[in-house]
Amino acid sequence: MRVAVILAHPNRDSFAHEIARRATGGLIAGGHDVELIDLHAIDFRAAMSTAERAAYHGQSPILDPLVQHHADLVRAIDTLVFVYPTWWSGLPAILKGWLERVLVPGVGFHFDERSGKVRPGLTNIRHLIGISTYGSPRWYVRAVNDNGRRTLMRALRVSCGLRTSRRWHGMYAIDTTTEAERAEFAAHVERAMSELR
Amino acid sequence: MIRRTQNSPRRVLVIFCHPRPDGFIRAAFDQVKVGVRAAGADIRVHDLYREKFVPELSAEEHRTHSQPGVADELQQHADDLRWCDTLILVYPTWWSGQPAMLKGWIDRVWAAGVAWELPEGANRLRPTLRNVRQLVAVTSHGSSKLVNSLQGEGGKRTIFRSLRSMCHPLARTHWLAFYGIDNYQTNRRHAYLDKLAAKIERLVSESSKRPRLQR
Repeated sequence: MRVAVILAHPNRDSFAHEIARRATGGLIAGGHDVELIDLHAIDFRAAMSTAERAAYHGQSPILDPLVQHHADLVRAIDTLVFVYPTWWSGLPAILKGWLERVLVPGVGFHFDERSGKVRPGLTNIRHLIGISTYGSPRWYVRAVNDNGRRTLMRALRVSCGLRTSRRWHGMYAIDTTTEAERAEFAAHVERAMSELR
Repeated sequence: MIRRTQNSPRRVLVIFCHPRPDGFIRAAFDQVKVGVRAAGADIRVHDLYREKFVPELSAEEHRTHSQPGVADELQQHADDLRWCDTLILVYPTWWSGQPAMLKGWIDRVWAAGVAWELPEGANRLRPTLRNVRQLVAVTSHGSSKLVNSLQGEGGKRTIFRSLRSMCHPLARTHWLAFYGIDNYQTNRRHAYLDKLAAKIERLVSESSKRPRLQR
């Protein structure tokens, strides 16, 4: 399978980077073709620009060649993996901006002019996988509803279709975890990725 | 002790986030300002796109995120957040949440020493925005209320659960959302906008009449 791993953490020595490396390693070991996109390393711009917003409902909503490359990639792959830290119960701005700028009409979804309904554009995605670290313990994450997970597993899933499988790997209360617990989580992620079919 | 507050004017901070200088959310922003002024409140405004706000949290900010304070260029944002008693966020809902620009404002401005503190030896954040007694969201959704419910209304929960947990324990929340903007005719939009200023005026002036629990 072709897989894209989208990583959204500003620090290269972060646990998220470690997880992304291990996930990528697991996928390669499983025989998959992987592209890792480190949004901070490529200086991805989070905010949709005024020109992009103006073009959003037109014939060619993508203006940036980097965004075009990501849009082409997203349409060619079978699996989309997100690795990010949950902040304020949601996606970091840079990852939220990636959804907004890359998954535009014609890529993420299609507007049906007659019915006014939105049709999925990412029916090629078979697996939607999220891996996130959380400062809060699991019970708190559940209480505030884990909105990043909702965005990816519900809103984005609507753009893929009901046949797309969803998987979630969460490392909770990360500041109080031991090195052994983090290593175990990383190994778990690597194994899960290598077993992906 | 419960007492009525003096007639000091309300302090309202309005955060506006939309890339375009025209359109529905811009019109809503104008109505919000009309309403706040009609209530006789003090108002401070940030137009994130016009200010060219940088939404990406930097590596340095992440490394020092548990130390109090924000980046120098964000000091005014932090001061305004500590100053207000009513926070009004005006933005379009994209992918069931705040646009990246506004999410970045939250990621970077709601920092240690502004929105929360982590005292030595404590393992839970302590909220520090007790000055914020009212949170208002003015937003538009492309899809219907039903679709948004299925998607989980993540944006609403981010404000009313996560952000609110750093505010005054009795802080009130108001969700003034317009659903289905992709499908509805302009007359329904006008009806929403026509009522918006009066609604904001009522919310802001009522909050100043309410007896307050002093702690």
